[in-house]
Amino acid sequence: MKHPILWIHGEALGPSNPALVAYPGRPAVFVFDTALLEGATPAQSLSLKRIGFLYECLLELPVTLRRGDVAEQVLAFAGAHGADGIVTSAATDPRFKAICRQLEPHLPLQVLEPEPFVVLEPEPNLGRFSRYWRQAERAVWAQWATAPGPR
Amino acid sequence: MATPPRSGVPLAWPEQPGDLPRQFTSRDSLERELKQLFPQAEGGLSPIEGGRRRAEELLTRIQPQRYGKGRNFLDGPVTRLSPYIRHGVLTLAEVRDAVFRRTRERQSSEKLINELGWRDYWQRLWRQLGDGIWHDQEALKTGHASNSYASDLPDDIATGSTGLACMDGFIAELHSSGWLHNHARMWLASYLVHWRRLRWQVGARWFLQHLLDGDPASNNLSWQWVASSFSHKPYIFNRSNLERYSGGRFCSACCLRDRGCPFEASYEDLDSRLFQR
Repeated sequence: MKHPILWIHGEALGPSNPALVAYPGRPAVFVFDTALLEGATPAQSLSLKRIGFLYECLLELPVTLRRGDVAEQVLAFAGAHGADGIVTSAATDPRFKAICRQLEPHLPLQVLEPEPFVVLEPEPNLGRFSRYWRQAERAVWAQWATAPGPR
Repeated sequence: MATPPRSGVPLAWPEQPGDLPRQFTSRDSLERELKQLFPQAEGGLSPIEGGRRRAEELLTRIQPQRYGKGRNFLDGPVTRLSPYIRHGVLTLAEVRDAVFRRTRERQSSEKLINELGWRDYWQRLWRQLGDGIWHDQEALKTGHASNSYASDLPDDIATGSTGLACMDGFIAELHSSGWLHNHARMWLASYLVHWRRLRWQVGARWFLQHLLDGDPASNNLSWQWVASSFSHKPYIFNRSNLERYSGGRFCSACCLRDRGCPFEASYEDLDSRLFQR
């Protein structure tokens, strides 16, 4: 991709967003998802506090703000900028995958992974936190051992 | 009091019709415009401000060692980073590294790193379960049938007028600031599910509407932990626990301080009163 646009979503509203890092200066868009805000099941409509918090985070990023259907708005933004693709960052919310499936038939989509908290192989057993943590704690603290800083 | 202008960082591309505004003369004008843009959204802005600048200020103040000792107290040295982490203003990896930079002995930071681990754990579970986080992970261990729990948020909860100073205080804070200390969330959730016999999903939805850090995975699975559909036993508390970790601030002003407090009992008594086992 030579001229992508960046799709910023609510799980990565900081400068470490890997799409912003990989393509600095490219046009970026965030869409307030009308269906979600108004209470798409099973969640409930969001209070103004939550919208205001997101909005203040977004004002500190170089990003155009839209509202409506996310896929429609992102594609319209890509069209307006003559983009040859869309770059975004991975998200956990299942809604993210559904939106990606709507985008992919129209333009190439690149999904970048943010830096993980800890890399675990094999995949941990998530039955209870204690099982996960037995494996994860060691791996997290191994990073401390190599991190720069005072000891 | 007038607040400073809220200006978006400049964009290197031209605006299009239909773009939402990015320049406001004050925080009050931001609030006014948002009310017009999102008329279905209830309430006003939180006193807690969004944005990386604020998140970085909070990050410089974390005290891992004090956190480990005092985090369960309502006025304890908790980080208040959760809304920023939830929305990726700070990544979990950035917070982890900030903790590492302040760590000379591993033990003093273990609790804070462990709590970051909880966030990572909930996110991994969400990836695995998808919308399954809205369903009971296991059968309840309360002895009550799932369908015996109420499906509507009672009015006195929605309006914060239960007459219990602690719960009404938590509800007022949830509604005004959109942030609650974790211990307050647990007490409030436990009261709703076990004392009021409310379906955990109803409480979870209500929290997601208001909490600035409202994340379906952390939120719902924690409600399930309280309810006992994701733990070995239901979570309950009593007055002496709440009084201790809240510094007595609610009990001293409560109409029920001398008699009628539903939390004034031993754990054994509460267990037999609340559950059928």
